[in-house]
Amino acid sequence: MPTLTIDGKPVTVPEGTTVIQAAEKLGIFVPRYCYHPGLSVAGNCRICLVEVAKSPKLQIACNTPAAEGMVVLTRGAKVEEGRQAVLEFLLINHPLDCPVCDQSGECDLQNFYMTYGLYDPRFKEQKVKKAKAVAIGPKVMLDAERCILCSRCVRFTDEVTKTGEFGIFNRGDRSQIGLYPGKTLDNPYSGNVVDICPVGALTDRDFRFKARVWYLSTAPSVCGGCSRGCNVDLHYVLDRPHLAQGARVMRLKPRFNPDVNRWWMCDEGRYGYKFMDQKRLTRVTHRGSESTWEEALTALAGWLARAREEGRLDQVGVIPSARLTTEELFLIRKLFQEALGLKNCLLDLPPKDGTSDGFLIQADKNPNTMGAALLDLSPSPQPSPIKGEGGGAGDGLSILQKALDGQLKALWIFGHDLVGLLGEEKTAQLAKQLELLVYQGSNENPTARHAHWVLPGAVYVEKDGTFVNCQGRVQRVGKAFKPLPGARPEAEFLVELAKRLEIQVQGRTPEELFAWLAREVPAFAGLTYEKLGWQGMAVNLSSSSRKRGSPIESGMTNP
Amino acid sequence: MTGYFLIKLALASVVFFGVLNLAGLHTWVERKQSALMQDRIGANRASILGLRLFGIFHPLADAVKMFTKEDFIPAGADRFLHTLAPFVSIFFALAAFAGIPFGDRLAVGGQMIELQVAKIDVALLYIFAMLSLGIYGVILAGFASRSNYAMLGSLRACAQMLSYEIVLGVSIIGVVMVFGTLDLQEMVRAQGKYFLGVVPLWGVVLQPAAFFIFLTAALAETKRVPFDLPEGESEIVGYFVEYSGMKFGMFFMTDFIETVMVACLATTLFFGGWQVPYLRPEGFFFPWGAHLAVSQLTYVLLGVGAFMLKVIVFCWLFMTIRWTLPRFRYDQLMHLGWGILFPISLANVLVTGLVLACFGNAN
Amino acid sequence: MLRKRELNFWERIYLPEIIRGVAITSRHFFVNLFFHSAHRLGLFKGKLAAVTFQYPEQTRPLASRSRTRHRLTVREEGTPRCVGCMLCETVCPAKCITIVAGEHPDPNVEKYPVRFDIDLGVCVYCGYCVEVCPEDAIRMDTEILDIAAYSRDAMKLDLHELMDPKLRKPVAECKLKFPHQCKIHGNQTRGSWKAVYGEQTCAAGSLEPQD
Repeated sequence: MPTLTIDGKPVTVPEGTTVIQAAEKLGIFVPRYCYHPGLSVAGNCRICLVEVAKSPKLQIACNTPAAEGMVVLTRGAKVEEGRQAVLEFLLINHPLDCPVCDQSGECDLQNFYMTYGLYDPRFKEQKVKKAKAVAIGPKVMLDAERCILCSRCVRFTDEVTKTGEFGIFNRGDRSQIGLYPGKTLDNPYSGNVVDICPVGALTDRDFRFKARVWYLSTAPSVCGGCSRGCNVDLHYVLDRPHLAQGARVMRLKPRFNPDVNRWWMCDEGRYGYKFMDQKRLTRVTHRGSESTWEEALTALAGWLARAREEGRLDQVGVIPSARLTTEELFLIRKLFQEALGLKNCLLDLPPKDGTSDGFLIQADKNPNTMGAALLDLSPSPQPSPIKGEGGGAGDGLSILQKALDGQLKALWIFGHDLVGLLGEEKTAQLAKQLELLVYQGSNENPTARHAHWVLPGAVYVEKDGTFVNCQGRVQRVGKAFKPLPGARPEAEFLVELAKRLEIQVQGRTPEELFAWLAREVPAFAGLTYEKLGWQGMAVNLSSSSRKRGSPIESGMTNP
Repeated sequence: MTGYFLIKLALASVVFFGVLNLAGLHTWVERKQSALMQDRIGANRASILGLRLFGIFHPLADAVKMFTKEDFIPAGADRFLHTLAPFVSIFFALAAFAGIPFGDRLAVGGQMIELQVAKIDVALLYIFAMLSLGIYGVILAGFASRSNYAMLGSLRACAQMLSYEIVLGVSIIGVVMVFGTLDLQEMVRAQGKYFLGVVPLWGVVLQPAAFFIFLTAALAETKRVPFDLPEGESEIVGYFVEYSGMKFGMFFMTDFIETVMVACLATTLFFGGWQVPYLRPEGFFFPWGAHLAVSQLTYVLLGVGAFMLKVIVFCWLFMTIRWTLPRFRYDQLMHLGWGILFPISLANVLVTGLVLACFGNAN
Repeated sequence: MLRKRELNFWERIYLPEIIRGVAITSRHFFVNLFFHSAHRLGLFKGKLAAVTFQYPEQTRPLASRSRTRHRLTVREEGTPRCVGCMLCETVCPAKCITIVAGEHPDPNVEKYPVRFDIDLGVCVYCGYCVEVCPEDAIRMDTEILDIAAYSRDAMKLDLHELMDPKLRKPVAECKLKFPHQCKIHGNQTRGSWKAVYGEQTCAAGSLEPQD
């Protein structure tokens, strides 16, 4: 455990720690291009030069092991002079592309040049021309001129994805980054090379020219693409509707969480944000004609109240969704299962097909399956195949089967696509059979066309709430911006509905609902939004062993 | 009787149209003269069939604009009084002209016609009465608009007009004393004498102090710069702020008509009215002994021409003053009226009285 | 500090000063009247009677640095010099600039504006856009001052008018060859790079996004 002094502050670090990590521990930032905490050390960019006492030359902080009694200076005239010289070399062949470069604004070359730059350049020779704007994969654009050969992308594909597409070719000032012949950068994590590229050499084709990065607002969130629940930063623009055809969300960037996704995220999740702005439902409709929230509330509460009086509540089916937040699922349980005593309120649909890759991508494409399971909204572990004739196991017939058999008179669906499950014909028949078919969801789908009532919901970044990922980690999704005009968060509507039905609800906001949840469900005991923070916390596993076995283990796949 | 009526009608229409046209033209003169004084060109765009004539059609365009504009009456205003006010204003201003003599007797078909609409023995009093009644228009405008700004503006206007009316009245007492009559026609005739046979004994020669006081007070009466505190076009919200269209135009016209009125009065009282120097009904009798005979008609027309010329010169002078002097402050205005002009005019009456008492009816 | 000067007797009685003032203004009046009349008779043509400019017929000479209506500078082949970096949009204090960027087939240019609007009804003529432009793509030197329209919409300039300052509303014909969001054709995308560069060049260097 060597103790060293960095900028006058002593710090003790474990054996094998490098100076740059020791400095990080002290909160001292040392500029870096090639160094990345998630990759091996290359030590080729030389910008992290620091002054080490008794060493005649400046040392690179990223590859100098901390030693006992070492005295390090990360600032000072000598260090700055060294970094300035390094930058001068790095910029010799770097084109003046900043106006057209998507990286500008979040470019480390720009940032460090502000501090250490040589503002009066001495380079008068011709710059070396290299390939520009080459689409090296479906997601990534390469500009070899802008590359400073830090080799982060090479190490990423070698060490993290182990696909090894990248290499550095040629020599001297003609060295350039590129793909091995016959390869394209199409691995499922290719978007990460854009994040780790410190300059504009690798840029995102999806984000290309969409907006300038200084237009973007950031909100912490969690990816809803699968049950992994990678932590992300949501980058959005609200005040410039002319960009990207009026879309608000511009891109997702992974947010560091050592327990979930570290620095990475998959392409599927990264580019799976478009549903937040496209094909959204924004109008309450009743059998195809426009209606209002007030009318919907009156009609639905009236129907349910009548059914309660007539004792027909067992003819009501509710299928919640594992894409809803835990708070909403809890409200559904409280409202439908407990207060109204509905027997048919379960998430008994077959899981979506998907594959797990043992790293980040999970087969279960719903972000909150675990949350539903913890709240007893999931059926037995062996779900009945719907399509098969006379299927049905566990508690009996599945809700959908019951509805098709005519046992149910009302069905309330949260965001599911029945047409995809049953086919157009059966769905139409179901809609005809039922007295009430409610579709509540954020996006248009074929089922919404058949539903009697369509209630536009909010996507998860428009509402606060939590998801429980496959590891049993409760993570806040965070509200980035308001729902689209016309759409309403599901919980908001359900709270109003409960009021109409004179059912006591302890809380209106997601935070209040979560507090209620924490009081009632042992797995969440003691958790609050404040405690969760933006990195999440694991649920109380010991108390979650429920009658249907332990759902946690089945979802656990270590990266 | 019919002949008499026709003659009066003709006279009245001549004066009426003459004054209205002069007032209308004033808006053009105002623009052009101010432009020339300020090295500009002034309004010159309005044209009829491409004929621009130095922008002389602008008053016409203004009139068309005024008539076609919305006539707005504010909510809560007294609709009757609000409409009445501009009519009161312009009516009394126009009615005052009946007392102004604009020429000597004209002999037509054996009849002697006085070139004065109404032959009133106390024409001067009549004119002052009419001018005082004009204040009612201002008060009504402010009162009927149901607007605090208009009300304050009209109060300012009343205070100013009443104050200066007194000064105006006292200043001409001297003139009345000198000429010994209130009949304006007689007063003009009385100015046909000469001092030492050379200098015409006009009011201004006999009563120079009274002239300057009269001029100042008269300017104040017309509420124009430098006395435009009741309403200052773009800067001061005044008593006709709630008026639009032609009703606003009528207030505007009243100002110009009053200016012409004051010019007529100044001419009549101090500059010999229709008198042409050295011209008698029989012809010119120059001081150096020359004689030039003119016919009776020529004599009268020369007189009318002289009167008009003098009025126009006064109008020009007022306009020049209006575009030269900066506006007074309200306290300065009141101080000037009550503290300076009023005592001087009183002193003028006293001195005139003393002189008349000592030297009797020398002339 | 300017101290109030004590007035002497003649100044205090005000009358001589009034006469002095009236004399000055009258002098201007008569001198100008004389020259105006003389001009009518064809005399003293060289001497001005007024210092004003008779605007539509006679324009005031502009200072070389004065900021007038914007224009976008154009490359030789008729495409805008603008690379759609959006710095002007960013710096604009009035937020009157709207840019949508697109992919340029020449990788050395890379980016160009598919849409570039300036709302002159909002613009404050600060000139920051010109100042900030790294490509000298926007200038305010058209010397067009008479910017007026009957609707807010007509105050909005798009690529057509910005690239060709001679154009005034209503622009009937779209002469831009490169792909752009054409206001004239109801915001549809019009034009193609082939029309600008010819078939071969375009095929060789084309890097249009493969979606």
